[in-house]
Amino acid sequence: MAEKKKSDEKTTVAHDKLVTMGREMVQEINMSESPSFLTPVRSRSNIKSDPDTGALYLGGSKETRTFVHVSQAKKFMQTVAIASKLKSFLEQGLHTSIRGLYYQLKFSIGEDVDEELFSEQSESNPLIEDLEASLDLKREDFNLSTDRKGVVAGNMTIKDKFGGDESIIDAAKQGRSGWMIPSDVDNGMEFVDIDADYVLVVEKDALWQRLNEDKFWKKNNCILITPKGQASRGTRRLIRKLADKKIPIYVFTDCDAWGWYIYWAIKTGSMNLAYLSKSLATPEARFIGVTMSDIEHYDFLKKLTITAKEVDIKRAQEMLSYPWISKHKQWVDELNIVLKTKKKIEQDALQGQRLTFVGDYVKEKITSGEILP
Amino acid sequence: MATKEKNPDKGVENGKEVEPKSAEEIFEEFKEHSVAEFFTKNKQMLGFSGKVRSLTTVIHEYVTNGLDACEEAGILPDITVKITSVQEEHYLVKVADNGPGIPLDHIGRALGMMLSGTKFHRYMQQRGQQGIGATGCTMFAQLTSGKPIHIRSSTGNGKVYECNVSVNIKTNMPNVSDVQEYEGEFRGVEVMAEFADVKYDRSEYSPLEYLKRTAIANPHAEISFIDPEGRKVRFPRVSESLPERPHEVQPHPLGLESHTLYELMRISPARKVSSFMTTELVRVTSSKVDELRNVIPQFDFDMSPKDVTWEDARRLVAGFKKVKWVAPSAEGLRPIGNDQIEISLRSLLSPEYLSVRSRPPKVYKGGVPFIVEAAISYGGKSGARTEAGSVGGEIMRFSNRSPLLFDAGGCAITKAVKGIEWKRYGISDFDTIPVTVFVNILSAFVPYTGAGKQSIASEPEVVDEIKFAVMDVARDLQRYIAGKVREETRATKRKAIIRYIQLLSEHLPMLANTGNKEDLEKKLTVLVFDKFKADEAEEDKKEKKTRVLMEEEGNESDSDSDGKIEFDEEDM
Repeated sequence: MAEKKKSDEKTTVAHDKLVTMGREMVQEINMSESPSFLTPVRSRSNIKSDPDTGALYLGGSKETRTFVHVSQAKKFMQTVAIASKLKSFLEQGLHTSIRGLYYQLKFSIGEDVDEELFSEQSESNPLIEDLEASLDLKREDFNLSTDRKGVVAGNMTIKDKFGGDESIIDAAKQGRSGWMIPSDVDNGMEFVDIDADYVLVVEKDALWQRLNEDKFWKKNNCILITPKGQASRGTRRLIRKLADKKIPIYVFTDCDAWGWYIYWAIKTGSMNLAYLSKSLATPEARFIGVTMSDIEHYDFLKKLTITAKEVDIKRAQEMLSYPWISKHKQWVDELNIVLKTKKKIEQDALQGQRLTFVGDYVKEKITSGEILP
Repeated sequence: MATKEKNPDKGVENGKEVEPKSAEEIFEEFKEHSVAEFFTKNKQMLGFSGKVRSLTTVIHEYVTNGLDACEEAGILPDITVKITSVQEEHYLVKVADNGPGIPLDHIGRALGMMLSGTKFHRYMQQRGQQGIGATGCTMFAQLTSGKPIHIRSSTGNGKVYECNVSVNIKTNMPNVSDVQEYEGEFRGVEVMAEFADVKYDRSEYSPLEYLKRTAIANPHAEISFIDPEGRKVRFPRVSESLPERPHEVQPHPLGLESHTLYELMRISPARKVSSFMTTELVRVTSSKVDELRNVIPQFDFDMSPKDVTWEDARRLVAGFKKVKWVAPSAEGLRPIGNDQIEISLRSLLSPEYLSVRSRPPKVYKGGVPFIVEAAISYGGKSGARTEAGSVGGEIMRFSNRSPLLFDAGGCAITKAVKGIEWKRYGISDFDTIPVTVFVNILSAFVPYTGAGKQSIASEPEVVDEIKFAVMDVARDLQRYIAGKVREETRATKRKAIIRYIQLLSEHLPMLANTGNKEDLEKKLTVLVFDKFKADEAEEDKKEKKTRVLMEEEGNESDSDSDGKIEFDEEDM
């Protein structure tokens, strides 16, 4: 941190918001009031879902964080210290992780830093969430990077300004490994060119590699993404941005609790990140499969189902109770098959007969329009 | 208590085979054989049982005599005790006081004759009372070491005498020999006596512990001790105020035991039992004697008190219990006093917290007055220390200022203290907390369980009263501990919040690009501490409310004291 890099960016929105927040607190103190800030309530009671799309978002309830309160003083002080650190990261144009932030604070605050709060993954950190929700920004906007997960390949070029350099990324020229999706796809990132008929999100990396080897994205003019399981914030954000370009999004997962969850988190956002749903959820996304009704069309799959676990059954029941799911007859039918047969099926099963069948399956599903909302 | 009444009797009756005897015969026999038999038969009851206990009893008897003598003469007591080892389980004990001294012609009677101490026929709240103690020691010395005791004494008139004293076991007559008289500056009594078959140790039953507790109950006394290994311990005088002299009171019928009554009548100048009773006992009127005549018609109230037998005395005592008496006066009772107890416990235990309470006189057995003084001492040197080094709750029992070291298990004080639900007083486990509970029972007629006077009988009224007294001080302690915990929490909170204010004031200007650290710190401090003060006041108010509630609860149980509180059958 010794060498100071002048941020070549103009004062960002994030920076302004942070400074304003601080100024308001100073004013409060000068008026003999406890410094405070408002933040939306993030508890379940304030999480709403759009009845049409199911997209999760926070309701209007807000709560005040204040310093002159026995149980809040420490957290408030830490939040302000975090905010002032983030402001300086922005000014320096440097990025770090939650862990890096923790050590920055430890250096200046010492034993009063609550290690508990910083020991877990970014999303569990309530103080940073307070700032994100309060200022209506993502932590990535504060130069706070999260773990990267997710890979993309396809006809897409991106301008990446980072660490003072600028480079053009061509996602079509990333060979067997693809381009790893960064944690922040907004700041310093810009689409240069996209040529794709649709985006295919494949749950499993193994399947992605299979399709990549088959040149699936090249042959079918699509963008091939794998979140490698649950989609990271960066991956979800990238999908959202591609959807903004009016490119259809298709999601391809296992037919089980986890696979459905991955799909619905991409589509509607998750409870934990409900306060960010606006920028992370993609209600336009559609579900390709695998589905239990696929068995009717692909006879060989019959042999390849496996017994559903308790968690799968429970999840299926839960989903049926969500109005934004139960209003879709296809989903109701699909889930009822699972409940009835107590079977599930993995996307890997599609390779059972022939390895290259996976691509054929995706193509057929998209062409036939046999996809779920 | 039953044994106590029976035993002197047995000495007489068991010696004889069958036939009923005349009073004269029995009395003659008693005179001839009683002293030796009395002592040997009652050795245990008198405290001469066990090697450690016997030695402590010796110290107790001499120290008690010294303290009583000093106080009666209005002298601040200086007591020195020295125990020297002669050979294994054989010690030389030297106890000296600065009291008024005993004139040479009284010394034999005082230390060499059973049941004839100056205290015997006077009733007051005093430590020793039976006139057995010091003579018992003389006899114990004779029996174990074969030697008489050696006395040095002076009334402070410039003349000092020394002599040997022993008891003629056959005749119960004192034997004073080897008298030497010389000029010297000394006042008081110094006893030197050798005892074998005893053992010195440093346990909770040791002379050292006894002296420590004596010092606690007698802050006006200066006590020093040299143990067999030459270690010196000094319990300094911490108060110059001499206890008020005890009022002499005549015995009340309810406070009498048969052997005491027997002895009183034996030395009474009265011609009839009835006149003995109306003149030498308190609250006995001729109409009460008439009542008694109805209660025990076979008893002859017109016989000479000297003709009364042990059996008669016992019948009379039993009769006393069937008649309603006017209660004895509590006037003679002489508490140590809160201030004095506080001074001595502070000086000896340097406690972190101390609460002392004395309660108004109560009566037991329908009329015997007594007073309970209680204290609780927490932290510092409070509590009993085990050899392993852990600390636990300790009960210091006293009666009429005299420490009770033995027979703790059967004692009303132990039962009362152990019977308290300590959890209610913020003490999770009495046996692991550095707490000393002090209880002193004052009465001209302390209900001892035996002549050893080391344990108080569980008279329900007495047990209750001890309980209430200890609960009073326990409540004080609980409040203190709760307050301490609260204060500590507050201090921690304050310390933390000051640090948060500093850190907030440091980071906020960096965030806001405005504001000054010192200025923000000052303003935030005012804001925060105003809020804290309000919070704390609210907390205190709540605490006070619960305290009042608790006290009300306590008082309720207090008013239950008229026999409503139940005891285990064992206790009764």
